[in-house]
Amino acid sequence: MAERSDMSRGAGPEGQAFARGHLARVIGALWRLSLAEAVAYRVSMLMWMLTTTFPLVSLALWAGLAEGGPIGDYARADFVGYFVAAFLVRQVTASWVVWELESQIRSGDLSTLLMRPVHPLLHHGMQNLAALPVRVGLAAPIGVVVLVLAGGIELGGAGALLVAPAALVLAWLITFNVQVCIGCLAFWLTASSSLFEVWIGLYLVLSGAALPTSLYPPGLAEVVRVLPFHAALGFPVELIIGRVHGPEIARGLALQALWLVGFSALSRALWRRGVRVYGAVGA
Amino acid sequence: MSTVVCVEGLSKRFTVPRREAGLRAALRALVRRETREVEAVRELSFSLAPGERVGFLGPNGAGKTTTLKMLAGLLVPSAGEVKVAGHTPSERRPEFLRRVSLVMGQKRQLSWDLPALDTFELNRVVYEIDAATFRRRLDELATLLEVGEVMRRPVRQLSLGERMKCELVAALLHAPQVLFLDEPTIGLDVAMQLGVREFIRRYNVEHGATVLLTSHYMEDVAALCPRILVIDEGRLRFDGSIEALRREIRPLRRVSVRADALPPEAELAAIGRVVEKEGGRLVLDVEPGRVPSAVQTLVALPGAQDLAVHDAPLEEVMRALFGRAEEARG
Repeated sequence: MAERSDMSRGAGPEGQAFARGHLARVIGALWRLSLAEAVAYRVSMLMWMLTTTFPLVSLALWAGLAEGGPIGDYARADFVGYFVAAFLVRQVTASWVVWELESQIRSGDLSTLLMRPVHPLLHHGMQNLAALPVRVGLAAPIGVVVLVLAGGIELGGAGALLVAPAALVLAWLITFNVQVCIGCLAFWLTASSSLFEVWIGLYLVLSGAALPTSLYPPGLAEVVRVLPFHAALGFPVELIIGRVHGPEIARGLALQALWLVGFSALSRALWRRGVRVYGAVGA
Repeated sequence: MSTVVCVEGLSKRFTVPRREAGLRAALRALVRRETREVEAVRELSFSLAPGERVGFLGPNGAGKTTTLKMLAGLLVPSAGEVKVAGHTPSERRPEFLRRVSLVMGQKRQLSWDLPALDTFELNRVVYEIDAATFRRRLDELATLLEVGEVMRRPVRQLSLGERMKCELVAALLHAPQVLFLDEPTIGLDVAMQLGVREFIRRYNVEHGATVLLTSHYMEDVAALCPRILVIDEGRLRFDGSIEALRREIRPLRRVSVRADALPPEAELAAIGRVVEKEGGRLVLDVEPGRVPSAVQTLVALPGAQDLAVHDAPLEEVMRALFGRAEEARG
């Protein structure tokens, strides 16, 4: 055979460099394939995106309530900025791996991914990420229209905006890993996505999608703001619109990292155990 | 003899939920979930040499697909040992996955809304196939399977047969050393079945790959596999050639003839067992040693024509084998 054999690569530094190079090429190839798929699915993606416009509904509600004066430290314009940012953050940190995993485990379609020498979760991760340009392309005009109608947005300072990409990446990774954890339950349960509905219910209330978490009553707000829901949405939103500063930013990033470590360890353990009980139904 | 697949005492048990029909049973299952153990594969042992083409036969639920999935690393065995190309499949190491391929008639690896060519390109990178080798193999496979244009159309627009051919290309681009085929011709028309069958044979001969195949179509197995493994209720019932199986289960040869006038039943009984006697057509099952004399007698019939001697059809052999196993179980 013309290909280099695995044996010839060895486990030394050269072998590791080759493995890294190969991984980068696989990621690139998965990205290209997934982007082509996302373009092919653009209409269904738009439809799905319209079902995640909850922050815009919240915007209409809270902006209306704030007509008579600020609520807490949020004036009408603050609500507009907050919820438009929340809408866009939700778009860029979206994942749907829970449904994909559940359906593939139940139908046995996971088998074809398991037969490739590439981790199936890398495949799913790239599928989610490659849809990003399409999602942003579809979501950005909606955000811009809302902002123009509502009169603009106040962004955070340069420092906050510099770390915002890191916060967004961490938020996506938390969302992805939570979904992998729940999706993996399909190895044992018949309908793990029903459990995800519970997660989504809590997420809508506790993440900041329904109202900024800082507006919760004192005591409760402190608790809500350390939960993973806030780390996945509220924190990056507040960072972008300049609602957190200095040590609060460091604390928010640390909490995100902590939740990510926890969920990724759990997802790895569930995946490893799940694959061992996988029934691979169907021929 | 060197082996590429070695299976020793392989078993697989599944725990499956069990409940009666009806609302009462459904409510009871909420409180107390009953399960039972199903032994899908029991202490299976066999080995395959490099380059062998082996058919895996058995009735529905015999454990064929479960075994294939354990060999491919999709299922973890409950007991026993499996080595494929020197690896333990359930560890699913990349070096193992690069050496094998599993084609399932009802599962697809091709991206549904994109041309198959896009998935081939992904596999080129995943399996680290250099560009020149990829082009050569793709040309070769596309020519053999006649999918030159087909692979440029979105997969969702392809017929079942075209899709299966593209699945085969995707599964073989990395030139696997061991090829597992689970019902590769299911749902295909006869012409397409023949095409896929011929392709598998050529691939095996030209690449020296080991092929293990399950199929409901006995013709697939009879035409492709010099050796068959027959399993029933998870146990190995037979391992050998189709001829050996026939000799063991249905040694009688089937002799058929057309004639203007047929001898009476009593006379025919002396030649062999009458299977069919209708109009001028006669079919007899004859002991192998008595075939020459039977042919002599039948060819001498008035207006004798279309005399033919066949082996018993494989379907009948299998029915007889499983019927025998049923009887043994009482």
